[in-house]
Amino acid sequence: MGIESADEVHDRTESGIPPIKRIVVNGEMPPVRVSQGEANGAPTHIAESFVIDQGAMAPAWTEERMKVESLGVRFDRKEAVKDVSIEVNSGEVLALIGPSGCGKTTLLRSLNKLVDLTPTAVRSGRIMLDGQDTDLMDDTLLRKKVGMLFQQPNPFPMSIFDNVAYGLRERGTKRPGKKELEPIVVDALERAGIWAEVSDNLSHPALSLSGGQQQRLCIARSLAVRPEVLLLDEPCSALDPISTAIIEETIVELKSEIAIVIVTHNLQQAERVADQVGFMYLGDLVEYGSVEQVFNAPMAERTKDYVRGDFG
Amino acid sequence: MSSLTYEATGIPVESEEADPVNRRVELLLGALASSVLLFIAGMILFTLFKAWPSFAANGLAWFGAGGNVDAQLTDIFNSPADPADYIYKLRAWPLIWSTILISALSVLLATFIAVFSSIFIVHFAPGPLQKLIEPVVKYLAAVPSVVYGLIGILVLVPWINSTFITEEMRSSVAYVIQLDGSSVMAGVMILTVMILPIMIALIVDSLRAVPLNWREGALALGVNKWRAVRTVSVRAIRPAIVAAAVLATARALGEAIMLAMVTGSIGFAPNPFDGFLFFMEPSRPLAPSILDGEEGLSVVPFGETMYAFGFILIVSCVFFSFSGWAIRQSLGRYSIGAR
Repeated sequence: MGIESADEVHDRTESGIPPIKRIVVNGEMPPVRVSQGEANGAPTHIAESFVIDQGAMAPAWTEERMKVESLGVRFDRKEAVKDVSIEVNSGEVLALIGPSGCGKTTLLRSLNKLVDLTPTAVRSGRIMLDGQDTDLMDDTLLRKKVGMLFQQPNPFPMSIFDNVAYGLRERGTKRPGKKELEPIVVDALERAGIWAEVSDNLSHPALSLSGGQQQRLCIARSLAVRPEVLLLDEPCSALDPISTAIIEETIVELKSEIAIVIVTHNLQQAERVADQVGFMYLGDLVEYGSVEQVFNAPMAERTKDYVRGDFG
Repeated sequence: MSSLTYEATGIPVESEEADPVNRRVELLLGALASSVLLFIAGMILFTLFKAWPSFAANGLAWFGAGGNVDAQLTDIFNSPADPADYIYKLRAWPLIWSTILISALSVLLATFIAVFSSIFIVHFAPGPLQKLIEPVVKYLAAVPSVVYGLIGILVLVPWINSTFITEEMRSSVAYVIQLDGSSVMAGVMILTVMILPIMIALIVDSLRAVPLNWREGALALGVNKWRAVRTVSVRAIRPAIVAAAVLATARALGEAIMLAMVTGSIGFAPNPFDGFLFFMEPSRPLAPSILDGEEGLSVVPFGETMYAFGFILIVSCVFFSFSGWAIRQSLGRYSIGAR
């Protein structure tokens, strides 16, 4: 895998595709936090445009999509998430960071109610999607709007095509034909940055792909069903640096269309892709703010220690 | 081999390549494994050798239909003592047809029931029920078949006789057979119950082995629970379902006592064109035929005919094992494990 990917990246630069870039926000103009507390109506907040080198991908606006109101999750007697309130806006990437076992994955899995699959889990508080309480929504309907990517790539034991088409085929009552699906599948694979590698073998088993390709295939599978919010649970922790870079690039490209929440252990990754950062510790949301503020001028002592690498 | 010795001690120098212990264990285990294979091959060849006079005398007509198979078996049993006058004439189709019919119907039925009940046990049953139902189902696999036969003959057969068989049915076939409830239906129903536990045990285990993250992946795409289980889990365990069906087929082919008790033990080929009546007709598969013929084994041609039945059963089992393996290979292309 390693050698193969190195070649790929080499090819990317030679074939004129821009190399993977790091998003740097120029110093003077920090992104403006969207004002909080406007639960209903989800008005479009026009924030100042970001100034980003190599431009083009900067969201010029953000819009509140999900709102977590004093969420608590406990497993038996263990409190995994304590009274957390946070917002997820489209047009930006929210990164949840923190040491292992701090509740960030549980928080993420609460957003699409996947945490409810754990029999011992008890959830309190409210999670709103576009002003609607998700507990009053059907699980499948919620999950149609809120897609998720897992830590371990989990392509189904089917062909590459069938994997991407899976959600479209199995969600409705009528199964669309291959002709209708094909353009959507191709588009999803392109957006996930894997089309070039799989275009001539869509009927191959997805499990024969490398780990990095599998994860990008899973992104394509999520994108094919057009989610409005995408949850990423440490999507790169099992991947090599090159696949990681491709996925990060995809995330940055996607944020103009959908709201993204990423849980990550990797502070550099959070710094690279996120606009907003939430730092969690032992179930508490210790700090929540723009990426510059959390990394450069953290307010809480714990955050300071964590982002400096003193613990965690 | 080890003529070299350590100078001082005289202990032989052990060479790396041929550690004698490893070599011995290898040979021993290898011998054991190959003797099992040899034993199976020997058994098949011996059975064929013993059965040969029956096959040779009838040619391919052995497998065909013609005449009353029970009368033919009686003739063989009453063969004259002179080997030159041995009677071998047999048209075994009714017995073969009965074997195919009863095994195939019960395996089909059991596969459906096993898949759905396994899904229920693993994914839908509430926790306490799940803990209760699984060991109970697995225990059913250990119930001796003669007990099933007893219940069948005392409960199921009279029930079929009184519930499903009308006087018109009885009189419509009275010129060939008597309908008394001993039937294909009774055989299939009990055989299905008998092979279910082992299938459920295998399918439940393989459903449990389906990675949770596949199901979560499907649920996270907004697919409902039933669809996710059906399209991801059941799809992934297809090789295991085939393996379970093959095992069940072997068990069904070999079941003798219970079937001898409830199928009427008459060498009659039930006719599918009789409609629903077809299920009420008696028959007798190959394995119970061997059981029934037990007291005649000392008559040489009769014993050889029984060997012929046994040979067909062994070869069918080998055939199903291999075809099951081939199907698992082709299904395994898109899944993990169970190759």
